[in-house]
Amino acid sequence: MDLTWNGGDTEFRWPWLLPVLVLMVIGLLVWWARTRGRLPAGAAYVAHAARLRTLPRYQALVRRRVALGTCLSIAALITCAGAIVLSARVQERQSTEQNDRTRDIMLCLDASGSMAEVDAQVLREFRTIVDGLQGERVGLTIWSGVAITVFPLTDDYDFVVEQLSEAESAFGTGGVYSDEYAIYTAGTVVDWSVQSQLGDGLASCVQRFDRKDEDRSRAIVLASDNEPIGDGIYDLQGAAEFAAAEDVVVHGIAAPATAERPSALQQFEDAAQGTGGTFALLGADGSAAAVVEAIGRLEAREITRPPLVQVLDRPTLGTALAGIGVGGLLAVWITEGVLAVRGRREEEAP
Amino acid sequence: MTAHLTRIKSRLSVHAHRKVRGLLEGEYAAIHVGRGIDFNDLREYVRGDDVKDIDWKASARSRQVLIKRYVAERKHTVLLCVSTGRSMAAMNDAAVSKRELAVFVSGVMGYLAVKHGDLVALVHGNAAHQHARPPEGSELHLERHLAAVHDAITPDAPPADLTALLRYVTRTIRRRTILVIVSDETTLPEDCADVMRRLTAQHEVLFLTIGDLDPTLPAVADRRLVDVDAAAEVPGWLRHDRQLRDQYATLVGTEEQQLRRALEKLGVVHERVRDTESAITAVFRLLERHRHARRR
Repeated sequence: MDLTWNGGDTEFRWPWLLPVLVLMVIGLLVWWARTRGRLPAGAAYVAHAARLRTLPRYQALVRRRVALGTCLSIAALITCAGAIVLSARVQERQSTEQNDRTRDIMLCLDASGSMAEVDAQVLREFRTIVDGLQGERVGLTIWSGVAITVFPLTDDYDFVVEQLSEAESAFGTGGVYSDEYAIYTAGTVVDWSVQSQLGDGLASCVQRFDRKDEDRSRAIVLASDNEPIGDGIYDLQGAAEFAAAEDVVVHGIAAPATAERPSALQQFEDAAQGTGGTFALLGADGSAAAVVEAIGRLEAREITRPPLVQVLDRPTLGTALAGIGVGGLLAVWITEGVLAVRGRREEEAP
Repeated sequence: MTAHLTRIKSRLSVHAHRKVRGLLEGEYAAIHVGRGIDFNDLREYVRGDDVKDIDWKASARSRQVLIKRYVAERKHTVLLCVSTGRSMAAMNDAAVSKRELAVFVSGVMGYLAVKHGDLVALVHGNAAHQHARPPEGSELHLERHLAAVHDAITPDAPPADLTALLRYVTRTIRRRTILVIVSDETTLPEDCADVMRRLTAQHEVLFLTIGDLDPTLPAVADRRLVDVDAAAEVPGWLRHDRQLRDQYATLVGTEEQQLRRALEKLGVVHERVRDTESAITAVFRLLERHRHARRR
């Protein structure tokens, strides 16, 4: 799923918390300043302490204290600011026009000999479409008596294009009697009396969809001439119902030869439209334009969804401030600790 | 009522001090020219002398007529002059306040005087007020003097001003006394020295100073200290710096020496009272030093 998020506005989740906390900090400072001025209860009095202030060491100590105290105060304030920003929760609201890229498209091609040319066209057109895809997954299944997964649903387009080219050349160049075609479609016919089972093919393709728990739109591009030989497990009607039950849209592409059998054509069209899909009969010349149009219509059926809004926490600023503050505090405390240790060592020295 | 004096007496009668106590009384008596006996010295006979006063044996030895001179038997007055500014309300060391120590040394001097049959008067005061209490000879009165001193010393009192107190003495005290000054001054300003000079002409002046708590000592590190003069807290981090302590000790030592020198120049004997343990010894040393100073 590829979503382009429009960077939204940054705001606080709880803006009222800012002034409350700032006031709290100010209140604490005022309280501290007031109690500081008060003399401690139970203190001992000492006289003539003013003499101390003239001592050079006293002045040096005071300078040191002032420097450390200033650093400590600044660090504490920065920490407070960071904590306040963090607690008010900076958030970024992002919205996106959700393009329906959560589609799975299964190419479901009839591999019987009569369909080779049509398949090649469908594959060729489909390959050009793959270039424009983003996020969709594409799979390829060929079937005749039984279905074979050429490649499962994937969004590795390089691989898809490669596979499509291979399939196209297998269907298109050598013709039905070439080795290439035979090798490529090997395994689709187990019993020669059972071939070109449109119902079984469609049902197999429906079963190829995975991630059933996700809300994805699933489509099958089903190319066939609807000329089954023998009896399959599913008839076309049953397979279409199964697809509809699985929320799979079937876009049917009928080979030109199908037009010669109106009942088969009608059956195919009903099956495709019954699942909410489109149906296209390729022209007698089997022109590519019809395929493009058919797949173009498929593209046009994109489902538009309401724009998605997501709210993301942006704790970077607060964390950075608090981190700098805490770092400063630690630095000051370490300095004080070092000074204290040094002082104690001097005390203990004879 | 008799709390102060009782404490002083009990301290004086502690075994270790018993010998000192006798010595103290002797030393105190030696302040007076009379020394407890009436005979003072001999001088040549002049016309008008009482014949009964002729010392015949001495006259025979020296081949001239000599007269015994007697000191007029009369009561002396010890004037306790205590500086009761707010600095006296501070600590002397970690355990004892300067107030207690001031009351104690005043009490020892007063008690010696009372035991000797002399009168004890009191002058105490600070920058704003000075008070005098008349000379009296009883322990009860001494106790009241001490209570007055004790009550006058509070942290809210005006600051100490020894010069003003001594000027008050020059203004109000006419008789000749043994002036015992108890103060906590660290320096002797010029005007104060002038007043002292004026007082030494009239009185026998004994000067006792009381020391201060060193706010840089680690012994008081766990206590919060307040500068009684500035009414501000003395920060705790001062008590962990050896360098500061050394500098402060040097400063205090220098000031003490300067004070001692200034007082020596005035001819005033001076003793520093460091704590209650050594207070009695300090009084003893003060009296002894005074005797030697007079003989010189």
